[in-house]
Amino acid sequence: MIFVRRAAVTALVAITLLGLLAPMIAPYPYNRQFRDFPGAAPSRAFPMGADEIGRDRFSRLVWATRVSVALAPAAALTSVALGLAISALSGFRSRVVRRGVESLTTICLSLPWIFLFLVLRAELPLNTGPAASVALTFGLMGIAGWAWPARVFTAAIAGMIDSGWMLQARAAGVSNLRIAAVYAWPHIRSLAAAQFRVLIPAYILSEASLGLLGLGVPDPLPSWGNLLRDLQQPEVVKANPWVLAPLALLMIAMVSLELLPSRPERAI
Amino acid sequence: MRVVSSLINLAFVVLAGGFAAAALVRFSPGFDVDENSWNPRLTASTIEAMHRARQVEAELPKFYLRYLRGALHGDFGASEAYRQPVSELFRERAPVTARLVVFGTAGGLALGALLAWVAVWPRRAFPELIAASASGALLAIPPAVLALAFFFWQAPLSLAVALAVLPRVFGTIRSVLGDLYSSPELLAARARGVGATRIALRYVLRAGLPQWLALAGVALILAFGLAVPIEALCDVPGIGQLAWKAALARDLPVLCALGLIVTFLVASVQSIGEIVGAAR
Repeated sequence: MIFVRRAAVTALVAITLLGLLAPMIAPYPYNRQFRDFPGAAPSRAFPMGADEIGRDRFSRLVWATRVSVALAPAAALTSVALGLAISALSGFRSRVVRRGVESLTTICLSLPWIFLFLVLRAELPLNTGPAASVALTFGLMGIAGWAWPARVFTAAIAGMIDSGWMLQARAAGVSNLRIAAVYAWPHIRSLAAAQFRVLIPAYILSEASLGLLGLGVPDPLPSWGNLLRDLQQPEVVKANPWVLAPLALLMIAMVSLELLPSRPERAI
Repeated sequence: MRVVSSLINLAFVVLAGGFAAAALVRFSPGFDVDENSWNPRLTASTIEAMHRARQVEAELPKFYLRYLRGALHGDFGASEAYRQPVSELFRERAPVTARLVVFGTAGGLALGALLAWVAVWPRRAFPELIAASASGALLAIPPAVLALAFFFWQAPLSLAVALAVLPRVFGTIRSVLGDLYSSPELLAARARGVGATRIALRYVLRAGLPQWLALAGVALILAFGLAVPIEALCDVPGIGQLAWKAALARDLPVLCALGLIVTFLVASVQSIGEIVGAAR
């Protein structure tokens, strides 16, 4: 098991390095077109071939790794921070506030967020820079995903409200802010870390699904999700199996994230 | 009292969810534009009538109140994209999605339970590692890719849904099974030599019924959520595809009905969980 986990950590470090060092590793910029080589087969010049408009698949995969690996944790952090802030309201003793937070969470869990992505894509001007569009896509994912961690935090806070230490702190006249920061946070911290870890693969997968539907990171900036769109054409996959490389990399990252030891295990 | 409070909360959440879904669609760009305005075969008076109808929808609170009044009588309005009553569209498409979702959920739960049983029952590290690895590998594949693969292999798409649901319920099933299998009653039954089938039926299925019901509800919602990308990508004429096409066409009556249904599903599962939890 230790060997498997070491392999997972190594794979994750390798994928992260691939993303971070993309400008050095990728032979070409992600948007450079070789108009004489549309759909070129793998060769020394194009190790994984070229796409239908002549862009090097290997370079695009390396740049896509940078986008997907760097931004999923940022989106996860946004969700956890929002979830914490909103669920903290349920710590108030008012039943109405608690019910309100629960209802808001349920509504947000059931909203068809796919419309938000449609809206976002339609709102973006055609000359929006790649950095802005990708930040908006992942930012929206982070905002839309606050309800899942909030539900977990709300349940944890509900369990704390009637605990002995909380009652004692209240009886001693400790302010709500101090209770939250000094007394409750140490109990929630490990839960927040666990939620953050759970959300990273969830956002990588969400981006992949949105990318397949054309709602993820917009072209020409590559991401694992929008590179997977080639899988909709089986003839392209048959002609050049390297098209599956983004899927393989995504799966390796996901499995490695799953195999990472959790904090209590590491402590043991 | 708990049931009444949950029902009131359910009604409020459904109404608010439907309104929020309608607001999202109403304020999306292109809502005021009807492509039929450029249809040369339509007369000026027809186009004017279409504009007037669109103007009524533009006032969101009025539209929503009128929509709810109609919905209470079973009238969910008419789809602008399909030129057909929404209830009729749902009647035509619901069986397709129901098959996909119900078989997918049942398959996912059954396969997840089987894998979790492999992880828990033998009490050995190797089967547990195999089960966790299989679940982890399935979790690593985007559900839309799984569905595309099944679509091209002409395999049943409900199996793709089942395989997408499996890793998402595996962890919970394993943890519930782990608790049940280490309960004193079950350990005593094993020591008495009670058979595996009897243990599964009496000590696992019956004892953990509330958890199983709650999990089935969550899995059902999960499968319904998966239906949108799967039906859109694989051209399955179900509710998911309808939702996708309605979103692209900003078809407010269809999306409003879908908002109400999805919110109702999610909120009902939560309420049932609360009531069962309180009863225990």
